[in-house]
Amino acid sequence: MESKVNPPKLARRLLKGFLRDDLAEEVQGDLNEKFCIDLKNKSDYKAKLNYWYQTLNYLRPFAIKKLIRLRAMNNHLLENYFKISTRNIFKHKMISSINVFSLAIGLAACVVIYLFVSDERSFDAFHSKNSNIYRLDEVQKFTGTNEQKVALSMPGMGPALKRDFPEVKNYVRLWLRGKQLITKNDTKHLIDNIITADSTFFDVFDFPLIQGDINTCLDRPLTILLTESTALKFFKTTSEALHNTVSWDGRDYEVTGVLKDVPENSHIQFEALLSMVTYTSGENNVNNSWGGNWMTTYLLLESTVNIKSMEEKFPAFLSRYMDDPDITTTYKLFLQPFNEVHLTSNDIEHDYINYRKFNGSYLTIFYVIAGFILLIAAVNFMNLTTARASHRWKEIGVRKTIGAKKLQLFGQFIFESVLLAGIALVVALLLDTLFIPLLNDLIGRQLSILPLFQNVWQLVAVLVCTLSLGVLTGIYPSFYMTSFNLSRVLKGGNRGEGKSVLRSTLVIVQFGLAIAMMVSTLIVIQQLSFMKESDIGFDKDQMLLVNMNNEANEKFETLKKELQKQSMIRGVTASGQRLGNNFHQGGFKVKADTGVLTITPSNVNVDYDYLSVYGIDVKEGRGFSKDNPTDKGFAFIINESFANELRLKETLGTKAGHDWYHNDSLGTIIGVVKDFNFNSLHYKVNTLALVVHPEWGYQELSVKIEKGRSEEGIAAVKKVWDELVPSYPFDYTFLDAHFEEVYRSDKQMSAVVAIMAGLSILISCIGLFGLAAITIEKKTKEIGVRKVLGATESQITILLSRNFAILIIIAFVMVSPITYYALHRWLEGFAYRINISLLVFVVGGILALAIGLLTISYHTLKSARANPVKALRYE
Amino acid sequence: MIETKLGEFEEVILLLTGILGEEAYAFKVAEEFESQTGRSVSIGAVHSTLTRLEEKGFLKSEMGKSTAERGGRRKRIYTITAYGKKTLAAAKEFKQSLWDQFPGFATAKLSFGV
Repeated sequence: MESKVNPPKLARRLLKGFLRDDLAEEVQGDLNEKFCIDLKNKSDYKAKLNYWYQTLNYLRPFAIKKLIRLRAMNNHLLENYFKISTRNIFKHKMISSINVFSLAIGLAACVVIYLFVSDERSFDAFHSKNSNIYRLDEVQKFTGTNEQKVALSMPGMGPALKRDFPEVKNYVRLWLRGKQLITKNDTKHLIDNIITADSTFFDVFDFPLIQGDINTCLDRPLTILLTESTALKFFKTTSEALHNTVSWDGRDYEVTGVLKDVPENSHIQFEALLSMVTYTSGENNVNNSWGGNWMTTYLLLESTVNIKSMEEKFPAFLSRYMDDPDITTTYKLFLQPFNEVHLTSNDIEHDYINYRKFNGSYLTIFYVIAGFILLIAAVNFMNLTTARASHRWKEIGVRKTIGAKKLQLFGQFIFESVLLAGIALVVALLLDTLFIPLLNDLIGRQLSILPLFQNVWQLVAVLVCTLSLGVLTGIYPSFYMTSFNLSRVLKGGNRGEGKSVLRSTLVIVQFGLAIAMMVSTLIVIQQLSFMKESDIGFDKDQMLLVNMNNEANEKFETLKKELQKQSMIRGVTASGQRLGNNFHQGGFKVKADTGVLTITPSNVNVDYDYLSVYGIDVKEGRGFSKDNPTDKGFAFIINESFANELRLKETLGTKAGHDWYHNDSLGTIIGVVKDFNFNSLHYKVNTLALVVHPEWGYQELSVKIEKGRSEEGIAAVKKVWDELVPSYPFDYTFLDAHFEEVYRSDKQMSAVVAIMAGLSILISCIGLFGLAAITIEKKTKEIGVRKVLGATESQITILLSRNFAILIIIAFVMVSPITYYALHRWLEGFAYRINISLLVFVVGGILALAIGLLTISYHTLKSARANPVKALRYE
Repeated sequence: MIETKLGEFEEVILLLTGILGEEAYAFKVAEEFESQTGRSVSIGAVHSTLTRLEEKGFLKSEMGKSTAERGGRRKRIYTITAYGKKTLAAAKEFKQSLWDQFPGFATAKLSFGV
């Protein structure tokens, strides 16, 4: 009965597989005997387990088959592989260098993409609690406005959430104050990013503090924390800064701490932190403020929290605090994981605390591109190696005759490709060291290859990737070459070897990818230049923007008059907010026949001649005018979108006003302007109302300077400014530079895609060049015969080019629809976009064909022109 | 180069082979080792040692009979060679001489003499 149970089949097979033949009988016998005895004493399972144990214990040098032993232990063999491989590499210098270079370019490109992506991914990783921190965002749906996601929240929300939700461990609110003038006696500095923060800042985040008490430094009103480099602008040392004071906006603040400079890879950037208590301790306690959204709230949650179910409780939460039946339709709160703020905020507006915000979906595109490039390079390797197989028939034949096992030959070829991949890696790293600084200039990054060497794991990963690339690309050629029949190989080969379906397929894949990337580049560049050139409805060139403070506002009229006197200045105006993002939105009332409508458009406070200086077209009615006293605060100009939203019979003359205006003392709509893209072109134009309210204060002065006289203009503005506004340094930027910043993520993507497309075409062509050399060499005799029989040079050239041309055309036809679809999807991310023109595809295809044929023309022309006598004498 | 020194494990295996006589094949030696020392050992490990001992010339082997349990496969019977016996004896003598120099026993011997 027991004999029915047999030793495990797999183990038996394994044993048979590796055991030396002369030992097989006795060992199998011994193990069987052991198994039988075990069956009697133990359970079947244990007996089987023990059989496995015994089997694996026979994996010892003395008992293993010779071949495996050789491979595992014999250094001579490796030495021989190395020798033969290097000989082969040097013997066929052109093919080898094509292989190495195309792989190297591919690897170098991948390393760059890896560096770029890991730089983006490194954002905010330094906070120890970052997986439990969430940003509180809102989806706002106001009447008369596009639905929008915003990164802002109400000041009352943070404290209330902590009170009402046990899963909220803590909260911290940030209130961005932007660029501010900080003074210490006579030292004045414009500090870029000032943020007001709750005292819980350090309970949530891990920004390192080098001076001061981390537990109490933000606990008192009128205290400020400075970053190290900011502190050193005012004080000699950071310890001198501690407990000293600096002034801002007429008040003294005690420096209660000095922070290390904020790392580059933090989405929250600041130079100074003001204590929030300053605003929550007085009468106007902002903690009870609901309705207005101007803070960014971060929540530290318990790690066990289910975000979905927490978000479901938010509507009830909102209704509890806000007495408005529509509140749950106008506001929807949601939580955004802190780690993802940098990469997934692309559709979020009013997102001011988000340094170097990047469109994370571009990273996927980068990965795909890296894969493509490697694939293209790998294809080169496979094609060239198999096409050249005939050169090695004799070697393979002799080796086989002497008794080389298939596995050994296989090992030899794999070894060779791994060796080439290794060399390619070295070249790739050299290329990267050389070109990364250039690339940094191009895409405005500080990528460096050094971190790659400092982290052992990364280095190991790169090595492993390269080696496996070597193995993977080596597998197909190895199979191909070792599969030859010995007798045929020694006889001198088979003629069928010149054509290979697989090789042609690989060329199609290669050129397909290259064409796809080329066409994509063309479209991406078109879209970007469309955004740059398209009529956005206002004039953004030569517009100098100057930061204004109170004094500048007080003296605005004088300032303006002085500036207008300068010959190179074409216009001077001012506004409350800068173009290039969404303007702040606020309630707006319009008195229609049916009653008073409340709508929430974007609002901006401008100077009288804003429209004329910016060249914004008035479609109906008139612009603001100083001659009309009611134009100050009681005249509104709306945009077309707003007018369409209102659908009034007669827009002009309609009574309207901000939502705090009394219904009886509303202003009038005096004009309608053509829609202009005050926000980026990713977004549709929102409804907008312009108003002149000088007493609210302007944020920025806009000075239009004559073309070609920028330097002069800046100097002139500075001179006037310094005379009139001694309290505030002259601080300027150009509007078009600001727009560059707005489209930075898109531009970087297009630069990377363009470079990669160029590289992929380059690699493909290098491959094609090599392949052409090999295939044409094989046809030398045919060409000779044809020439003797009277074929002309051009006939031969066409003959030779035809096959390659067909491959490229097939590639084009196959890849076009997929590319079209992918590009269409990308363009959907822009509210204003180009139509994909089929012409671009035709241009891309023809370009690829031309480049391809040009590449092989070196070989085709050479062999077409060659003396047929030489060709026929060959052999 | 042939290693002629005997390791501890080798010595035990060699002795066990001697003890088992006609029945000295890898599986039996492994079993005997387990029962005599209480330590577990794989057949492979014993087999490897037997092969090494044979290479060194301490053992010789030939194929023996088969049994049903073994699926009709023969076993390799190891027998100790004269050289093997001599080496074992030398090892024993060497250890004995060490024991003799061990102070505890040496004094006891002295006192006997008086």
